[in-house]
Amino acid sequence: MESIQNKVLKDIRKYKLLEKGDKVLLGLSGGKDSVMLLDILNSLRKRNIIDLVAVTIDEGIHGYREEGVEIAARNAKKLGVEHKIVTFKEYFGRTLDEIISKYTIKEGRRNACTYCGVFRRWILNRVARDEGATKIATGHNLDDETQSIVMNYLEGNIQNLTRIGPKSESLNDKFTIKIKPLREIPEKEIGLYVVARELDVHFAGCPFAIESFRAEVGSFIKELSREHPTIMYSTLRGFDKMKPVLKREFSRKYPIGVCEKCGEPSAASLCKACSFLKDWEDFD
Amino acid sequence: MRIKLIIGENEEIIEISGNKTVKNLLDVINIASETVVVKKNDCIVIDEEPVEDGDSIEVIQVIYGG
Ligand code: SF4
Ligand SMILES: [Zn+2]
Repeated sequence: MESIQNKVLKDIRKYKLLEKGDKVLLGLSGGKDSVMLLDILNSLRKRNIIDLVAVTIDEGIHGYREEGVEIAARNAKKLGVEHKIVTFKEYFGRTLDEIISKYTIKEGRRNACTYCGVFRRWILNRVARDEGATKIATGHNLDDETQSIVMNYLEGNIQNLTRIGPKSESLNDKFTIKIKPLREIPEKEIGLYVVARELDVHFAGCPFAIESFRAEVGSFIKELSREHPTIMYSTLRGFDKMKPVLKREFSRKYPIGVCEKCGEPSAASLCKACSFLKDWEDFD
Repeated sequence: MRIKLIIGENEEIIEISGNKTVKNLLDVINIASETVVVKKNDCIVIDEEPVEDGDSIEVIQVIYGG
């Protein structure tokens, strides 16, 4: 178990994810990945290397998120880490459940993760700025990262591929840099870590996490990993080697502007969050 | 042989036949071993660990979507 923790700390140094004096905002869902990351980042906080604030986003997913929020709060409290709970309702006037039942009748559940992702990113970025955070840390693991690579490749989303990595490069100083310290740790090992350390973790599946293309790709890779246990590492390594070339050829070079409604960074005149909200105004 | 099987809140005594490893047991009860951590008599064990009469086997699902 020590060794997983050391591997994460080594990756933090290797990819220069953190600098002394950083104020890190951790997205803490209460799931195993973020609880493990809280444990590790807290060790850096206790050594006065970084400052840490944990933020839990309550999307408003009834029967699922409530328990996660409670578990997140207990974990932060136990370690003495500052904790904030923020909700879709307070920022956008709607819970995710309301969004899905009200506006996506035709498209159904498939799109829950699209909205969820857009709004979550918006909130994290906003709260990070309000808190004066210099980094946003998330619990993405090796399985998540491999899924993103394969999924975007299969969909021909080369632009998205150029943004996958351990640390984001900000095109706008309103974007706080995002880091993924668990990017090289397999999901299964994170499960082992939290069980072995008897951490209080929310083990449950989101009711919306069904039938997404990401989930399909995820099970395909897990299936392959049975007979080819190193497949996720090699996918990640290969991708990281290609990435400088992809970036040179395909990444957006010009700086992006800000959303005219909310002031968050955005390539278009309205950011994605505001454009969803605008579409829904007609329904209200 | 009889073992105690604990999955989440559920606990039951089940009868299994022959020499089995944790992996074989998971196959029998139809659980994908990549998604779980298994404890035998309160210690984390690997898939190849043999299961013996009277063991208490706890299956903790650690991989979910979302
Ligand atoms: S599975 Fe989709 S809807 Fe559920 S929390 Fe994750 S991103 Fe949000
Ligand atoms: Zn906006």
